[in-house]
Amino acid sequence: MSSMIKPRTWERFFWPLIAAALLLALWHYSVVWTATKVFPSPMSVEKGIVELFHKHVLWADIEDSLRRVAIGFGLAVVIGVPLGLSLGWYPSANQVVNPVIQIVRPISPIAWIPVAIIFFGVGDRAAIFLVFLGSFFPILVACVSGVSSVPPIFRSAGRNFGLSTPQLLARVVFPAALPQILIGARLALGIAWLVVVAGEMIAVDSGLGYLVIDSRNSGKRYDLVVAAMLMIGVIGLTLDFCFRRLEKIKSVRWGFRDAS
Amino acid sequence: MLLKTKVTLFAVGWLVLISAAHAYLNVNWAAVLNDYQPVEKRKITVAYLPVTCQLTCPVTDYISKYSTSGEEFMPRMFQGFPEMKEALISNRVQAAFIVAPMALALKAQGVPIKVVYLGHRYGSSVVVQKNGPIKTFADMRGKTVAIPSRFSDERLLLFRAMKVWGIKPGEIKMVEMAPPDVSGALAAHAIDGFAMGEPFPSQAEIGGFGRVLFQAREYWPDYMSCILVVRQDLIDKRPDVVQVLVDGIARSGLWLDTSKPHREDAADFVGRFYYNQKPGLLRWALTKPLDRVTYSPLAPRKADFDMVRDLMIETGVLNKKLEFSEYTDTRFSDNAGTQTSWRYEPGIATAK
Repeated sequence: MSSMIKPRTWERFFWPLIAAALLLALWHYSVVWTATKVFPSPMSVEKGIVELFHKHVLWADIEDSLRRVAIGFGLAVVIGVPLGLSLGWYPSANQVVNPVIQIVRPISPIAWIPVAIIFFGVGDRAAIFLVFLGSFFPILVACVSGVSSVPPIFRSAGRNFGLSTPQLLARVVFPAALPQILIGARLALGIAWLVVVAGEMIAVDSGLGYLVIDSRNSGKRYDLVVAAMLMIGVIGLTLDFCFRRLEKIKSVRWGFRDAS
Repeated sequence: MLLKTKVTLFAVGWLVLISAAHAYLNVNWAAVLNDYQPVEKRKITVAYLPVTCQLTCPVTDYISKYSTSGEEFMPRMFQGFPEMKEALISNRVQAAFIVAPMALALKAQGVPIKVVYLGHRYGSSVVVQKNGPIKTFADMRGKTVAIPSRFSDERLLLFRAMKVWGIKPGEIKMVEMAPPDVSGALAAHAIDGFAMGEPFPSQAEIGGFGRVLFQAREYWPDYMSCILVVRQDLIDKRPDVVQVLVDGIARSGLWLDTSKPHREDAADFVGRFYYNQKPGLLRWALTKPLDRVTYSPLAPRKADFDMVRDLMIETGVLNKKLEFSEYTDTRFSDNAGTQTSWRYEPGIATAK
C-alpha cells in the first residue's frame, strides 16, 4: 500500500486490527512455547484488568493521573505560550535567556524527582510540578521558533493597520505561529503522559504509575503489572487522538500542508 | 583517506574503546567466569540488602575467603525487596535473604522456594521525628509510616502494637519504601515515622532527627524478620551446596555473637566492602546495645512462622493457610546445629 493511495474506510480499521491480533497471538504463543510461569499471557492480563476494575482502583487511578496531566500541562501552556511569544518577538531577550533554557531543557524531569519532593513533599504537587517541567520546554521552544518564522510581511501588514504590539502578538503573530505551537503542544502532551507515570512511581500513592509499582509490590502478580501498562498505553493513545481532533479545527487548519 | 574509511576507522576505534572501558570498569569477571563453570561446580548467587538483618551474608562471604574452603557463594547486593523478589522468581539468584511474610506470599503464589534458615533476631524498630508530635504509640493515629514491603514483619509488628493500643487498621497510613530511602524521607518530613531494620533507625538517631519509639522485641518477643530462602531446584539438585551455605550462615551468626570486638570488626569490613555505609553507623547499630540485633539461634521454628502466617491472613495479605512443612526445609538447619563459630580473630586481616 503506497502512501499515495488513499486507503478505503474499512481498510483503515481492518489492517491495524489484523496487526494487533497478530501481535497478541505472538505474545500468547511465546508464553505457551517458553512455558514461562512468570510472564503473564494475554488472557491472564485481561483477567487482571477485570480484577482491577472490580477492586474499584482503576477509575480513581486514571482520574488522578489525568488530573495531574491536565493541571501540569495546562500550567505549561498558560505560562509557556505567552513567554514563548514574547521571547520570539524580542530576539535580544531570547539571546539572553536562551543559554539557560538550553541547559535546563535536556534535564529529564525524572532527575528532578528528589528536588521536587524536597520542594513539594510527597503528593500531588510534586507530580504536577514534574509534568509541568516536562511539557513546559517543548511548548516554549515551539513558540519561540514559531514566532521567529512568521513572515515579516505579516507584521508589516499588521503595523499598517495600526495594531499595537500586544494586539499584533495576539491577532497576527499568535495565529500565524499556531500550527507550530500546536505541534509543540502535542509533543509536550506525550511527554507529560510519560512523565506523570514515572513521577507517580515515586512521589505519590495514587495514579497509574503507582498502580504499576503497587502491582509489582504484591508478589508474583505480573498480570496486574502488564494490565496497568496496557491501560497507560490506551489512555496515551486516547489523549493523542483527542489532540489531533483539536488540530482539525478550521481556524488552525490553514497552516498544515494537506489543508483542504 | 576516503571518508568511508575514516568513518569505518572511527566507528571501530570507538567500539574498541568502549568495549575495553566496559570490560575494565563494569564487568564482574568472577560472575562471568562462574557462568561458564560446569553446573556442579558453579557457585550460587545469594541476594542481600544492606541491612543488619542480613549481616550474616556478607560476613560469611568475607570470612570464608580466608578459610580453607575458600569463597562459598557469590553475594549480590540489592536495594529493595521488589527487585530481589524478581531476581529470585526468574532464577537470576538461587538464594536470597527476604522478609518472612514475603517468603510465605511467594510460596502461596506458586514460586518454588523454601525457607531454610533465619537471618537474625530482633534488630527492627519504629522510629519517629525526634521532637515531633508522636510521644507514645497512641499518637500514631492518622500518621504516615514507611515500611519496607506490604509483606514485611515490620508491618506485622505495627499491627501487633496497634492491637495493644486499640488502634484500628487504616488509622495509620503505611507506605512502602526501599529501606535505604527512609531516613532521608524522615529528615525531609515526608513521613512521620518508619518501621525498618537496622542500621536505618541508627542512622536517624545519629543524624539527630529520629527517635526510636520502640524496639521490635517490646511487642514481639523473639522477633525475626529476614530469613534465608533457597530455590527448590537447588535443594533438589545440590543439597550439599545449600548445606554449606546454611553452615556458613550459622557459623557467622555464632561468630557475630561472640564479643564486642567481633561486632566492631564486622561493622568495619561490611561497611567498607559490602554495604558501602560508614563503619561508624554499623558499629552503632551492632553495639548500642549488643543485643539490639542478635544472630543466634537461627533455626526456623514452627511457632514463629505460624504466628506470622496467622497475622498475615488476619491483615489480608495471605489467603492460604500454609503449613510450616510446605514452605520450610529444616534438615539443613538441623545439620547446622553442630556448627561452631568461625575461627577467625577480629582485626587479623588488615583492610586493603
